[in-house]
Amino acid sequence: MKKSISYILMATALLAASGLFSSCEKVSPQGVLLGNTSVDDRVRQSLIYYSYHGADLDWDLTDSIEEYSFLVGSDSHVTFDPGRLYEMIEIGIENDDLFYCHLGDIVDTKPEYYSNTQFALYDATRTWKAKYIKPLIDEYHTADDGMYFDKRITPSTKNYLKPWDDWNLPFYPVVGNHDITHNGWSLFCDQFKTSFYEFTVKMGDEYDRFIFLDSANGTLGKYQIEKIEENALQHDNKKIRHTFTFTHTNIFRPSLNEFASTYCREELYYILDKLADWKTTIAFWGHVHAWDDRNFGDVRHITMPSMNFVDHPNGGDDLIVRVTVYKDNREPKVEPVGLYCKERSRQELISAGYNVSTY
Amino acid sequence: MIKTLKRLTVTLMLAVTTGTALAQYYSGEHTFDGENKHEASVSLTTGKNIITGPCIGNTVHYKHYFNDHWSVDGGANLQYTKGLYGFKAKGEYHLKIRSFHMFASGEYMFNHYHEYNTNENIGNMSVRFERGYWDITLGGSLINYSMMGDHYTEPLTLTFGAHATLRPRTHEWNVGLLFRNYDDFYYENWNINWGLDFYYKFNPRWKMFGEFNIRPAGSMSQLASKYETTGKIGLIYRWK
Repeated sequence: MKKSISYILMATALLAASGLFSSCEKVSPQGVLLGNTSVDDRVRQSLIYYSYHGADLDWDLTDSIEEYSFLVGSDSHVTFDPGRLYEMIEIGIENDDLFYCHLGDIVDTKPEYYSNTQFALYDATRTWKAKYIKPLIDEYHTADDGMYFDKRITPSTKNYLKPWDDWNLPFYPVVGNHDITHNGWSLFCDQFKTSFYEFTVKMGDEYDRFIFLDSANGTLGKYQIEKIEENALQHDNKKIRHTFTFTHTNIFRPSLNEFASTYCREELYYILDKLADWKTTIAFWGHVHAWDDRNFGDVRHITMPSMNFVDHPNGGDDLIVRVTVYKDNREPKVEPVGLYCKERSRQELISAGYNVSTY
Repeated sequence: MIKTLKRLTVTLMLAVTTGTALAQYYSGEHTFDGENKHEASVSLTTGKNIITGPCIGNTVHYKHYFNDHWSVDGGANLQYTKGLYGFKAKGEYHLKIRSFHMFASGEYMFNHYHEYNTNENIGNMSVRFERGYWDITLGGSLINYSMMGDHYTEPLTLTFGAHATLRPRTHEWNVGLLFRNYDDFYYENWNINWGLDFYYKFNPRWKMFGEFNIRPAGSMSQLASKYETTGKIGLIYRWK
């Protein structure tokens, strides 16, 4: 009798657990045991993209620029309303921030969530291009040439002059676990192209290095680690001043009630060691939806809060950060930036042209 | 003839009584069998880890039972190719509550990761409940690590594990399935280790045991990804 009760209890618990998992959009039940998206495959694919477009990502700033800034946000978890993501870019355009970094979990995995995000980013791209990208008309070029430039970039360098369509919003994301649940990598990859890449920003004679790592599965994976060890991302030897790294899965857990998983032990120590090896100035982490700012070794680690509507329905004063980098050897300045827009109703989203078919 | 029958009957009765008496002692894993107070084990672990590549190493272990309630044990771990060296000491209290066996334990573990010059100090307190076919463990770990002249203590981490076996724990052989966020020589955060284990008792003193572990990276909302696969095989010897 007692045995039967035990079996019934166990079966009920198993049923409840499977029901919970299968009804949850955010979790892939089979993925708990075996993920259907491999970090190795994503990195392979990313490196192909990088081999063709890596150099296009670099910034060579004009000599007159004494400082530049960029915004970092994390875990926007866009569903129907990409308002917070748009607000981040709007703030950046208003403040003349050079580019935008996102630490992953941009979108919860569903095709319409991705299409809404794409719609918002296209819109933001139009606003960004209208402000920064101008047609080049000089003694050598006419309006018919259709070439456009960004005045912040040094003339004569590779990325200074491009046709209108080749200019894209400088939005640099890494992939997060929720971006790839339910085979979301195909959607992510279609929109953001890559999950493992780097670029440099040249200001004066020195370069700042920006490294983006794929840790959506809670690991960098064997292949990515091999490529890191081979310096596969560095396309040439440059005199690096600051290194900034961006990845989704956090290392530091701000408090005991933050249950987000981190890296397995050996990998955790490998990453901390590698960041020191790179002489990283600031390492940015997401995933845990909580703020943490600490120095470990000589590296500053900033773990970002989420910027989504669920965690912060009314917004907050410190949901993203602005990092300002100076031409002299001052330490980069990190300051919190607030996001305050509220989630729109279904009707408002329809009016704005968003897809709410499964709202 | 009658004498022979009497002898046979007495022998059979003694055998049955002895069997019954032995069965009264709970002889599950890591439990005092009522006779042998010392237990030593040695095992060989081999496998593959995405960071350290192929790995091979040994663990050694000694346990002393003071009585049916109290025991202490210590062990060492030498993972040669990983460059991971560790030791641990543990005290355990066993109590039988109706049909359950409860084990409350406190443990200290030290690991040195040679490649990253990292030292790890771990304190753990756990309670394990066992019945014939299954056991569950719940507890908490404090993990501190130091490297590059700095150190960090992780917030208290939940320790959890569950294990179910095909045969009752008293059986001479067994096969089981397990999941847990710890192993003999590590405690993780939420990274779960899935395993299949087995043992075979040659006699009351000698036992062979083994384990096949899959330790994926990623858990909960993260899709699992390959991190480490290991196999372990070892021998336990018990003596008075």
